[in-house]
Amino acid sequence: MISQIFILSSKGDHLIYKDFRGEESKDAINVFYEMVTALSGNQPPVVMSHKGLNFIHIRQGGLYWVASTNTNPSPFTIIEFLNRLAALTKDYCGSLSEKSVRMNFALIYELLDEMVDFGYIQTTSTDILKNFIQTEAVSSKPFSLFDLSNVGLFGAETQQSKVAPSVAASRPIMSSRGEQGGKNEIFVDVIERLSVVIGSKGVLMKADIQGEIRIKCFLPTCSEMRIGLNEELSIGKSELKGYSSAVRVDECRFHQAVKLDEFDTFRILKVCPSQGEQTVMQYQLCDELPCAPPFQLFPSVEKDYVNRVLIFLKLRCDLPPKSTALNVSITVPVPKGSTSMSQELSSPDQTAELQPKNKALLWEIPRFPGGAQLSALFKVDVPGLSSASLLEVGPVSMSFELPKQTCTGLQIRFLRLSPTQTGLSQRWVRYVTHSDSYTIRI
Amino acid sequence: MTDSKYFTTTKKGEIFELKAELNSDKKEKKKEAVKKVIASMTVGKDVSALFPDVVNCMQTDNLELKKLVYLYLMNYAKSQPDMAIMAVNTFVKDCEDPNPLIRALAVRTMGCIRVDKITEYLCEPLRKCLKDEDPYVRKTAAVCVAKLHDINAQLVEDQGFLDTLKDLISDSNPMVVANAVAALSEIAESHPNSNLLDLNPQTINKLLTALNECTEWGQIFILDCLANYMPRDDRESQSICERVTPRLSHANSAVVLSAVKVLMKFMEMLPKDLDYYGTLLKKLAPPLVTLLSAEPELQYVALRNINLIVQKRPEILKHEMKVFFVKYNDPIYVKLEKLDIMIRLASQANIAQVLAELKEYATEVDVDFVRKAVRAIGRCAIKVEQSAERCVSTLLDLIQTKVNYVVQEAIVVIKDIFRKYPNKYESVIATLCENLDSLDEPEARAAMIWIVGEYAERIDNADELLESFLEGFHDESTQVQLQLLTAIVKLFLKKPTETQELVQQVLSLATQDSDNPDLRDRGYIYWRLLSTDPVAAKEVVLAEKPLISEETDLIEPTLLEELICHIGTLASVYHKPPSAFVEGSRGVQHKKLTARAGSGESAESPDVGLSGPSEAPPAVIPSQGDLLGDLLNLDLAPPTATVPSVQPSMQMGAMDLLGGGLDSLMGDESDTLGGDIGGSPSMGGGLGVAPAAMPAALGGAPAVGGGLGDLFDLSGGVGMPTGSYVAPKTVWLPAMKAKGLEISGTFARRGGIIQMDLSLTNKAMSVMTDFAIQFNRNSFGLAPAGPLQVLTPLSPNQTIDVSLPLSTSGPVMKMEPLNNLQVAVKNNIDVFYFSCQYPISMIFVEDGKMERQVFLATWKDIPNDNEALFQIKDIHLNSDAASNKLQGSNIFTIAKRTVEGQDMLYLSVKLTNGIWVLAEMRIQTGNPNYTEMELSIKCRAPEVSPFVFQCYELVLKN
Repeated sequence: MISQIFILSSKGDHLIYKDFRGEESKDAINVFYEMVTALSGNQPPVVMSHKGLNFIHIRQGGLYWVASTNTNPSPFTIIEFLNRLAALTKDYCGSLSEKSVRMNFALIYELLDEMVDFGYIQTTSTDILKNFIQTEAVSSKPFSLFDLSNVGLFGAETQQSKVAPSVAASRPIMSSRGEQGGKNEIFVDVIERLSVVIGSKGVLMKADIQGEIRIKCFLPTCSEMRIGLNEELSIGKSELKGYSSAVRVDECRFHQAVKLDEFDTFRILKVCPSQGEQTVMQYQLCDELPCAPPFQLFPSVEKDYVNRVLIFLKLRCDLPPKSTALNVSITVPVPKGSTSMSQELSSPDQTAELQPKNKALLWEIPRFPGGAQLSALFKVDVPGLSSASLLEVGPVSMSFELPKQTCTGLQIRFLRLSPTQTGLSQRWVRYVTHSDSYTIRI
Repeated sequence: MTDSKYFTTTKKGEIFELKAELNSDKKEKKKEAVKKVIASMTVGKDVSALFPDVVNCMQTDNLELKKLVYLYLMNYAKSQPDMAIMAVNTFVKDCEDPNPLIRALAVRTMGCIRVDKITEYLCEPLRKCLKDEDPYVRKTAAVCVAKLHDINAQLVEDQGFLDTLKDLISDSNPMVVANAVAALSEIAESHPNSNLLDLNPQTINKLLTALNECTEWGQIFILDCLANYMPRDDRESQSICERVTPRLSHANSAVVLSAVKVLMKFMEMLPKDLDYYGTLLKKLAPPLVTLLSAEPELQYVALRNINLIVQKRPEILKHEMKVFFVKYNDPIYVKLEKLDIMIRLASQANIAQVLAELKEYATEVDVDFVRKAVRAIGRCAIKVEQSAERCVSTLLDLIQTKVNYVVQEAIVVIKDIFRKYPNKYESVIATLCENLDSLDEPEARAAMIWIVGEYAERIDNADELLESFLEGFHDESTQVQLQLLTAIVKLFLKKPTETQELVQQVLSLATQDSDNPDLRDRGYIYWRLLSTDPVAAKEVVLAEKPLISEETDLIEPTLLEELICHIGTLASVYHKPPSAFVEGSRGVQHKKLTARAGSGESAESPDVGLSGPSEAPPAVIPSQGDLLGDLLNLDLAPPTATVPSVQPSMQMGAMDLLGGGLDSLMGDESDTLGGDIGGSPSMGGGLGVAPAAMPAALGGAPAVGGGLGDLFDLSGGVGMPTGSYVAPKTVWLPAMKAKGLEISGTFARRGGIIQMDLSLTNKAMSVMTDFAIQFNRNSFGLAPAGPLQVLTPLSPNQTIDVSLPLSTSGPVMKMEPLNNLQVAVKNNIDVFYFSCQYPISMIFVEDGKMERQVFLATWKDIPNDNEALFQIKDIHLNSDAASNKLQGSNIFTIAKRTVEGQDMLYLSVKLTNGIWVLAEMRIQTGNPNYTEMELSIKCRAPEVSPFVFQCYELVLKN
């Protein structure tokens, strides 16, 4: 059971404080803030205990979202709840920030009252909540479609004729009476996170994909939506369909509102989306990639002069030629005590720098077209270099994003709303793959 | 006008301004004003002065305004109880409002106003709301009962709200059911013995139906409640498992974990050979793996839980090793947890993969993580024997990097590897010695010194190496000093000629120049040993060391059982029982019950075992289980039955051991040792300066074997009132060894208390007084519970019988043999030492009867390696007689079955230190002449088994 819930700014200001059970004093807030700021990097920050009072917190939007309890509840429940609370606050207020929470405190109190009673979580569903909530949201930044300063979705290029601006999705869902933003839009995002370990001889050692289908809905009325996925999608390890390159995932989980009666045969998800953001489906694929990993690295590390290491990296992007990887950054650990570095890069838009504090060098490539190959030479000066120091070079880690790509090949065939709302609703489908942990061993 | 006055007026002005706005006619203005008040309240300003004005705004039909006012009321009512009464009327009126939102709002808020005076007004509206037509109101009212119970429990009972609440479990709306379950669970916690949450198959069925329909949060309440249920049989637990399993694919990880908890608990009751059991095991893995894709906070919590699950049922995740490989961008606390789980899952099948990973980790940036990774390599070597060689070479590679902390960590683990595989990897010592200078951490230095001392005979310059450490002896930490002392003594015993000076130097450093009592004591002990009896010294110092065990850092089994019952809660994150961090009694009692109800081996389980069968009939399990089930109506006498208690004695069996043990202790063949050590006269002289206060017993005592051979039947002289059979006394200390004092004795267990019955006989010429007794540390912590009661002086030729009660709370040290007890007896003449052995049945406790299901689960749980087989011949007993006899010595029969003319008895024994010893006894019944019994004993501490067997044999033969 939750005793108290409070939201603090990063500086420790009290933004929201709600005591559900009248058991603990308000001092708990300060106790929490002292504890959380005194934590060292090694200590897990998730749960903290002080004199029989346990704090569980998350950080979102630069704010601390904290629940305290003096019993033995499930931390999963509370973390999930705090995440939902943050998501709902974002849905209702449009964005998450100290300012938006301050401006909408009455609304948040009202939400909390409906979501939690006497420490028991009641509901977090927008559909149910909208029946009770009276307060209007105050939007901190009026939404305008013409605010295109931040063009593109997930950093993608604007080659497509119709692209939703990335801010399009950040506005309050509950603008029923407001004249601005009454647009009937629905966004469906397929987001995948890729984690890969490639061994020293270029062997793929481990590859996982975590994916999710997320919708954000601004439709006021609750009509049924049908999301069609690839028909050849197979689920589970055993379901191998001959030689066809079926799109496969190991396991998937669904939001409880999703109706699956057409899923088994037609791979259609039926859902009545409630307003706001929700994850409709999560899936994962372990150990097997349907295509080659997007990057291959051919490194060579040599001792040059007495105190110099030569690191030559050749990086190949194995995406199809029309695709592009964005914001690629490569981190290479270097021996302890490296002092300076000189580099040779193949194009001027790339950058590289030595970060002695992290014992690493960072090479950044803003755009990397599929099929291309880039190389770079780094000369690192290490006073007192020994042959053992060379062992300290590696493993290389990479981060990047692949817009308009899913590594599993999962696609959304169609998105149908019934009853069909003629021309009123706009539907957006977006794909992106992020690197979660992409490691190449040397 | 001063400045300060100006400030106060401003403040007053603010309150005043708000007051005016609150009393405004315009709704909008009122609303804004209340909002301002609440804003001030949040940041901690005191706005209680506005109470009457805010309460005035309460009567409005604007819901938004009403909610704001209620928010204020909840905060300040407690500090203004008199004023809060003003609000009661409106509350009562609101509870009748046609709008269900307002009714619910009123009943919710009233419950939050924790003012005693208000509660009596609350009852009537609450009663109505509990029966409201709108489910939203009913579910709010259900929670309100819990609120009211928290303020005034008696009132809730008197008003009969609890029954209404119970009725709500059958409500048509799942939200109402969920809240009723949550409220009842909480109320039940403060009444641990009440039958509030009467869980029977009907209610369980209702809960399972509601489970499919209610919100995710409601599902959690219901699942947590289900986890407390005890199914009647395995069929019921299987059907519950089947209905809970779909929750594993829920998107909310809290639901998933609650479901995992239910499944883990109910799985205990399923027979392992059932197909469904295997299916269930397979179904548990994917959801656990999926949890690892969540954000780091959840990942960490999930890993802590997986760590428990892996210790309990490693088979669930044994194929999922790869998901625990760390990612470079994991936070450090996630990395460390993953590493821990990796080691637990390491097996011969995946060790190559694991080692390759660990080697990569050892070159990462984060020092803590690197250290733990290096240590993990060592733990793998110890756990998987086949990989030891690979691990050692990996460690050597790492030492080559010369990264300081890697080298030190590697040396510490290599020491452990030497302990596990002695005389196998000594070739690496040379490499280790090269790194001597770079070691600056005490643990690594101590480990290195230990290695040098242990393998001194193979290191040519061992003396130089150790000498180099000796220079800064007093600057070293105690750990290093102790290790250095021992290592040099070892070296001396191995190479006496060259290292005499060194040993003298270290002994005098330790004994004369040190302030540390531990170090001094150890120094003196070595000194005396060396000066009087180098052979004994050799045996003591260079004794063969017990191998270290494979698994380290395991959570103690009873705690693990309890924590498994708390999967998905804070307890599973802290790895502590809830009582350790939840203050007061709330929640603790309740959850402990849970732990017992599961097949916990917690200390309390025997109590449940005795009372359990009447409340919940144990499961009837196929295979072994259904046969056990046949015996459920077997009327087993409780442990306090009238069966005469038979005290076994094992003195006969123990005699040789005792003689031998004493011989080595005394070192009576000491005349040969001068030659052994090389007889250099200067050495003798050097050691001669050792303090002369040698214990008399260590002197050249005559051989004692003969004296011990005699058995005195003194049982006639034992005047104990219980009438139970006690083994005859034997002479423990012959008079010739103890200046005329003869001690004979035996052990008995009476009414749960261990007693040492002693006969002291004065065979000397003078009177003996001032008796006292002390025990050395021993395997089960036996210690005198009181002083030795010899009140009158013991005159020549007089014998006195004393009964000394013993406790088991003394210091513990493993003895060889296990039941050996070293005793010192003092009188006015001297201190005498002897050792004796107690029958291990002394430490069988009275509540050693295990519950049947727990027995089954534990039997399966203990690895087969720990099973020991024995035969008892020439027994003329049938199984019932045997069972009765054994019960007298606290060996309890759990169940009996008959297969193919053989009786099988299932027996349990609990030792004072909580170790359970389980046994299966096979008795031939068909042929009366065939009198052999087969006994198979299983125990987590297999070294106990032979002693337990001896007890069985003695009890049965007596």
